[in-house]
Amino acid sequence: MSVHEQFADNLSLYALGALRGEERQAIETHLKECSACRQELQKLRGDLALLAFSASGPRPPARSQGRLVAAITKEPRRVHLRQRSRRTWWNALGWAAALVAIAIGVSLRLENSALRRRVAELETSSSKQDQQLLEAKQLLAALSSPDAAHFTLVAGKTPPQPQGKAIYVRDSGTLVFLASNLPAIPPKKAYELWLIPTSGAAIPAGLFKPDTRGAAAIIHPPLPTGVEAKAFAITVEPEAGSSAPTSQPIMVGTRS
Amino acid sequence: MLTQCVVVRNRIQSPSNHFCVLIPWFALWPFCGVSDLIGVPRRIRKEEITGLFGAASNVVSSDAMLVAAIRSGDEQAMTQVYDRYSQIVYSVALRVLGDTAAAEDILQEVFMRLWRSPDAFDASRGSLPGWLAVITRNRAIDSLRKRREETDIAEVVVSIEPDLTNRTEWSRALEKIHSALASMPSPQRSALEMAFFEGLTHTEIAARTGEPLGTIKTRIRAGLLTLRKALNP
Repeated sequence: MSVHEQFADNLSLYALGALRGEERQAIETHLKECSACRQELQKLRGDLALLAFSASGPRPPARSQGRLVAAITKEPRRVHLRQRSRRTWWNALGWAAALVAIAIGVSLRLENSALRRRVAELETSSSKQDQQLLEAKQLLAALSSPDAAHFTLVAGKTPPQPQGKAIYVRDSGTLVFLASNLPAIPPKKAYELWLIPTSGAAIPAGLFKPDTRGAAAIIHPPLPTGVEAKAFAITVEPEAGSSAPTSQPIMVGTRS
Repeated sequence: MLTQCVVVRNRIQSPSNHFCVLIPWFALWPFCGVSDLIGVPRRIRKEEITGLFGAASNVVSSDAMLVAAIRSGDEQAMTQVYDRYSQIVYSVALRVLGDTAAAEDILQEVFMRLWRSPDAFDASRGSLPGWLAVITRNRAIDSLRKRREETDIAEVVVSIEPDLTNRTEWSRALEKIHSALASMPSPQRSALEMAFFEGLTHTEIAARTGEPLGTIKTRIRAGLLTLRKALNP
């Protein structure tokens, strides 16, 4: 026990209220500065309570309760001032918090419906765009599809000639190239399409091999934008392609 | 959580001073923790959770909750505390005074003091039945000796271990106390009882028994420690 032994006996006497005069003062002074002895005092009072419990006697007469209730009713408890103000404060806080919660709820609801409208708009426009995109894709697929039937229209009885058509939009660098009746390409070789600018070197515009009917298509190859084209040309190149033409063009077309 | 909080509050407090019942539940649920704190100070929350009288803790309020309710002026809570502990208080007063009318007066006085200043009892530090028993004894002795009160009741903190929180623990503890007293050497037991129930000082006991003062002091302390040990072997 961490209790000061010199006070131990007197501590129990103090708990009993049996100490007088100097002894009592000495212990009260000590208790003020010694928490171990204060704790021991609480425990000693607990021990005294156990002794008190041993006095287990009869219940008090029924009239005692009536007397107490009457006295209490006559003397409504004055709520402690500090208690009341704290309660009011908590109450106010509660109300304020509830109001804030309601305000937040309302503003969230408004924001929510605005967002819903925006989402609906975006959904509409997005589905329109999807539709347009789908159509464009189908169009492009038709141009390069092996299933597509190709018809070359010529005047009179001229036999079909190898033919290529490039449709080029300078500003966006968009190119669609279609060819027909091309001669078969030797193995390990490919045709390469070139954009011939008004000034500078030829720019590669795509490798292709014609199908068995001699048809080929290049749709939107990677090209720089804003290049003015003087002509398009086709050369035979190694299968991997070249960055500059390595043979004489087999076909050339200028702007019509 | 919400249900629990409302039930507890309605039972031990008059609803009129509680905003819980006045505003819609949906505005309240995030603040239930706060509303718990309004009437019941923070320091007794642990005991609320532990509950009194065992598993049915949502049916029976703990002493701490009852005292908190009394603090807010709940007469019902006062009646509950009376039902719980009036027998102890009355028995102690009767044992000291040996007169039923005088014991009834002390009973009335002790409970009125709890009603008037419930703050004097600190639920976080002590046992309510222990506190009531000790202040009853002190008041009865003061009245017996026709003297003024010596100790401020707010300074009387009575700590009992273990906490006697249900009826079973109670009756078991009572058995232990009785058997501890029965097995005590009789000079020790009578020194203890003279000091406690008759309010005799050690000097008076020594004079009455003709024994040295030091012996009486030692017997009293040893007797108290024996009781403590009986509950905490």
